[in-house]
This record gives sequence, structure tokens and C-alpha cells, in this order.
Amino acid sequence: MTAPTTEPQAEPMDNSDSVASRFALTGTRRLIALVVLGMVLLALTERFARIPTTDLTSSGTWSIALGWSIPILMAGLGGMFSERSGVVNIGLEGLLILGTWFGAYGTVVTGSPWLGILFAIVAGGVGGLVMAVATVSFGVDHIIVGTAILVMAPGISRYLSGLLFPDHGGSITQSPNLGGVSTFSVPFLAGGAIFGWESPDILGSIERSNAFLASEAAGILRGFVFQMSWFTLIGILVIPGSAWVLWRTRFGLRLRSVGESPDAADSLGIDVYRYKYYGVIISGLLAGYGGGFLAIQLSGLYKEGQTQGKGFIGLATMIFGNWRPGGTASGALLFGFTETLRLRDPAAPHALLLFVAIVLGLFALRAGLQRRVVPAAGLGVAGLLIFWYYMAVDTVPNQLPQITPFIAVIVVLLFATRRLRMPAADGQIWIKD
Amino acid sequence: MRKKLLVLLAILAAFALVAAACGSDDDTAESDAGAGVNIGLVYDIGGRGDQSFNDSAAAGLDEAVADLGIEPSEASADETGSNREELLNLQAEGNELVFGVGFLFAEPMTNAATANPDINFAIIDDSSVDLPNVASLVFAEHEGSFLVGAAAALKSESGKVGFIGGVNIELIQRFEAGFIAGAKAVDPDIEIVSQYLTEPPDFGGFNDPAAGKVVAQSMFEGGSDVVYHAAGGSGAGLFTAAKEYSEANDTKVWAIGVDSDQYLTAGEDVQEYILTSMLKRVNVAVRNTIEAHVNGDFAAGSQVFDLSVDGVGYSTSGGAVDDIADQLDDFKQQIIDGEITVPETP
Repeated sequence: MTAPTTEPQAEPMDNSDSVASRFALTGTRRLIALVVLGMVLLALTERFARIPTTDLTSSGTWSIALGWSIPILMAGLGGMFSERSGVVNIGLEGLLILGTWFGAYGTVVTGSPWLGILFAIVAGGVGGLVMAVATVSFGVDHIIVGTAILVMAPGISRYLSGLLFPDHGGSITQSPNLGGVSTFSVPFLAGGAIFGWESPDILGSIERSNAFLASEAAGILRGFVFQMSWFTLIGILVIPGSAWVLWRTRFGLRLRSVGESPDAADSLGIDVYRYKYYGVIISGLLAGYGGGFLAIQLSGLYKEGQTQGKGFIGLATMIFGNWRPGGTASGALLFGFTETLRLRDPAAPHALLLFVAIVLGLFALRAGLQRRVVPAAGLGVAGLLIFWYYMAVDTVPNQLPQITPFIAVIVVLLFATRRLRMPAADGQIWIKD
Repeated sequence: MRKKLLVLLAILAAFALVAAACGSDDDTAESDAGAGVNIGLVYDIGGRGDQSFNDSAAAGLDEAVADLGIEPSEASADETGSNREELLNLQAEGNELVFGVGFLFAEPMTNAATANPDINFAIIDDSSVDLPNVASLVFAEHEGSFLVGAAAALKSESGKVGFIGGVNIELIQRFEAGFIAGAKAVDPDIEIVSQYLTEPPDFGGFNDPAAGKVVAQSMFEGGSDVVYHAAGGSGAGLFTAAKEYSEANDTKVWAIGVDSDQYLTAGEDVQEYILTSMLKRVNVAVRNTIEAHVNGDFAAGSQVFDLSVDGVGYSTSGGAVDDIADQLDDFKQQIIDGEITVPETP
């Protein structure tokens, strides 16, 4: 989650005298530790839940949650590229919509979801280009341009739907059914086939074994290797890909420098306009992919209004993830997981309350060890309140899980504002003298 | 100055596109009785072409154009539904009778009907507007859902069936109640799982096929083999899920459609998984109300379209329920005769 070498570690917990700092891990090891801790907690929660559920750690839930996260992830990473180059992109939702429509249309006319998603990517890219022309070349306020895209995209889609879909068995609000791309399971881990030979399903058998911890861990892991669509895999590969591009290449350095200090970049001879164009267009390409994925793979058709604010959620995950790919991805998975869980098993969110209570307790403990009294007390009380609520009720109202990820984002923003740092020149209009 | 102009241009361009997309199209037809009678109809979000509720209303309007020769004019609420009242008022300018398609028109119609006391209004799916110039056209969805619930129980081999509601509101709960009652009437021990996609005021649950698909998948995985949806556009996800689950597991699970005969509209690839559809004949209500108005018999107040007037029913396209049609028609007769009272709340 922490970015590679180019930026210094900005960990407020590194007060050398605190107890916690002695156990502080950095970089990848910290990430792994967090993931393991999260899995153990989920497993414990599920085991000891008052209202039984198996969906917290089932491979079915995680596999669907992963797919569900992709449109959000793509919007988030898209927003990241745009904002890293200094352009605020609130038009992501509109770009997603363009992706859904063109992805569906491309699939309908060519008969191939692969070509369909190419349509979606190109349409998103064109949308990004329009935004870039307005914001970068003409210096129009980013919010105005974003809003224009937001208003325009549904209008364009509707107009084109009415024009083109009825001939193919759809209507003014929806496309005909689309077949997505095929899925695969990883051999040995999840019983995928190699040239027709079915390999053993190792994680699957552990998941079914009902062995404490092992079964739950296997369930979660299997979700990431089982019946995954090729589109999902590509989406996941974009995470390390964008980290590499932004932090390991000359292109990425220039893109980020344009977002941090365009004047300095300009004085060093970087074509600021060009890199801002790149940022916004890449943003469009990614959002287009997310939209195409949503229509072709996740829904099986284009349906007006199907994006349901996923572009804005993507924007929230980007902030949640501190304008970094790893953080954005964990935010997207958080939204994807809670949403999937809520839809799959109405009993599961109740068990999740216990999980949240424990997590808050741990945070309170950490703050206590660092002698930060007020946050420790606040977190502790919040944790106890949630625990009390967990013991007091048997079902949570359906609205609660629906807003859980949003609460999580707000909590993160409240407690981590010191660590969040947006690109310095984000949202500023830069005109070359 | 230049910047301001550009901003203005951008906004204007955006609105022009939206306006173009929402524009109403007037088609004219030549027939007899109602010639010269102008009828306005405002669709809810989605508009003509949703292959569901709005389309059913559109069909009624088209029938009236063909049979009575009325002059129609149509409009659709925008994406957020914020302009319902404006559209009703606009339609009231040039029409004698104005329809609002959907319960979300209740408040806008109260205002519009008060402001235009000389114009007749009709609202579908709501009976809360109590004005001398408003007709409330409501349906006995629970009765129709009872029949498809019975069909589900008769066809289920696992003894477990599912219900997917779009949004957890009273109207949709009526579908659920009828479905449960119907299934239990056939098999008192049957297990029924119900799940709603969103809670009000979030009405996105009617428009989210991806969510419909996730819920349907988990129901099929959980052992249900017949799932009924009352989730508008999200229902497409149920059909896809039924197809994918059946193909992946070499079995056959059923989906039940809603509002219109979805066997005919949902796409050829999923047809074979659609058992039947609960028909809600909005077209009958629209057409009858127009005819009454043309004949000068427009009646304000609540009118219920139930099984006895074929306002609701079940579809037989595809022939999957042919073998149980006798039993279903038997239930239907018992409901009409009042021997069975279908509950309206689950």
C-alpha cells in the first residue's frame, strides 16, 4: 500500500519513543500483515457470530465481490491518473456510462465481448479527450467540465439507444442480452483444468473441510482464483501496472510533476499540456473499461442508470487510497465486498458488526499504546457502542449495510487526514505564459 | 470573458443534448370516435421502451390511438424524476386527460390536478390522490403474484423458491405477499427466501441488473430452483443468472417475470428459463380510462384492476405452465369467488 522508494515514509506513528513503533512494519510486509490480520478477524467473526452465516469468507462471495469491485476500481484508478496530472475529474460517472453503452453496442454489433470492451475503452478515451480539451487547452473550470460530461453522457447514451438498440432487440433504455467472456479457475489452487484435465481443487477441499481458520482463509483466497473472468484479471493487473507507470517510469514522473508543480515542470522543459492530456485521456480509457465491464460482464446487458453512482464511489476510493493504486484497490474491494455481502446474505452484515467492533477496538488499543488519549477513547467508545448494537439486535436494517462503505470512507477521512495528501496543483487551471 | 462564454457554451451544449434525448414524439393516427381528443401521458424514469411497466402503458395508449383515434402526446421524467410535476403541468396545457405512469407521480399529480381543475388526470399504481378530477388506477398485484407463486411451488423440485424485490416499499411487498401465499397454498412446507435490492429512498433497485444477478445467483446456489422478481429493469439479471447457473451446473432453474410477458421481450437466449410472467395489464387500465373519457364517463376515485376483470394474470408463452394451467385457473376462480383471500402484506 505504501508507495515505493521515491516518496519518504510519512508515518505519524513513527514517534521513536512509542511502544508501537518497535513493532511497526513497513511496505509490503505491513500490507501482508494487515491482510492476514483481516482474514483471521473475519474467520473469527464468522465462527462466533450470533446469527450464523457462512458468506463472510465463502469463495462465492469473494469471487463475486472481486468482479463487483472492478468498475469502482477502474473509476478510482482513472481518477487517480487524472488528478495526478492535476485535473480533478468528477465526470468519471459520465465516462463509466459511456463505457457501458459503447461496450454493449460494440458487443452487439461485433458479437464479441473482447471487441465490445475495446469500443468501451475508446469511447471512454474520447470522453476523456473532450474533457482534456476543455480543461487543459481552454482552461475551463474542472468542476464545470466534469458536470457537463455527467449531464451529457446519459443524454448521448439514451439518444443512441433509441436510434440503434431497437433494431437489435433492445429498446431505448436497454440493450439486448450480452454474453460476457469466459471464466477460468487456477489449476491446483481452485481446480482449474489444464488442457481438459481437471486438476485437484486444493483450496476448495480445505474450504469444505471446516477446519478452523484454514477453511475460512482458503475460502477467501479461493475467491481470487476461482471462476474469474479474463476481464477481471485484466482489471486486477491494472493495479500494479499503474503503480509501475506512475512511480517507475519517466512518463510517470513527468505526469506526477505536472500535477504537483506545473510551473517547475514547465521550467524544466516538460510539455505540461501534453502530460495533462495524457492523464485525463488515460482516466477516460480506464473508466471506459470499467463501464464496459459493468455492462458486458457484470450485468449481461446495458441498462439505463445501471452505473448507480459507481463513478463517484470510485472517486471516494481514490481519496480513501490517498491517490495511490494499492489504497484505491483496497477501497474498491471494501465497497465491492460490503455490497456483495449485503446482496447475497441479509444475515451476514449482522456478523460484520462484530468485525467492525473488533477492528475499532484494535485501533483504540494502538492509539492507547501511542498515548493518544482522545482518539483512543473515541475509538474505544465507538467500538463498544457497535458491540452493544451487535448484541442487542438480531437483524440490521437493510439500509445499514448499504451505507457501510460510505461510513468507512468518512471514518478513514476523519482519522487519516494527516496522512492524506492530494497532488499539490490538483484542480488548478494552468495556462502557459 | 472568453472563459465565461466557453462555460456557457458547454452548458448549453449539454442541455441541448439532454433536451434532444428527452423530447417527446407525437405520432398521429386516423380513426373515429375520439378524433380531436388530446390525451397526454407522462412516463416515469425509463420511459417508452423499458420492456416493462412504461411499455405496458404505452401499449394502452397505442391501442387507444388505433381504436379511438385520439391524439396522444407523451413525455418522460428525467433521470432523477425531478421534473414530474412540470411535465404534468405541461401536458395539462393542451390535453383533456393526462396520465402519470407510476406511484411516484402521487405528489406531483396532487399539485398539478389542483392547479388544473378543468383537466382530468389519472394515476397508475397509487390511490392516495383524493381529488374530484383524478382517477386512481390500481392493480391487485398480490392476486396475480399468488398465481405465479402457486406455479413456482408446483414446478419446484427442491422445495425452495425465491423472491427478488426491487425496492422495499409497500407496492412491492404486495407482490411478495401474494407470491408467498400462492406457494404456501400449494405446499405448506415450502421454503421461501425474499430479498430486496435497495431500500427507499434509493430506487436504484429497479434499474440494477448486476445486483439482480448477484441476488439470483446466491438464491440458486442456496437451493432455490424457481425465483420470481418484481424488480423492473433489474430482473434482466435474474434471467441471465438462471441461464448461467443452469448451464454451469447442468440443471434447470426457472425465473418468473413480472408486469409484461417477459418471455417475449427478455431475449431469445434466456427464453427457455422463463416459466411464466405475472401480468399487470396497465395497457387495459390506460385504454379503458381513455375510452371512458371519450364517452364522457370519466370517473374520479379509485379503480381496482384485479383478477375478475383480468387486470392481472399470468402468461403462458413458451408453454412451460401448460401442464399446471388447470390448477392455476382453479386457484384463479377461487380468488375471484372470494374463497381465497390473498394477503397484501408479507
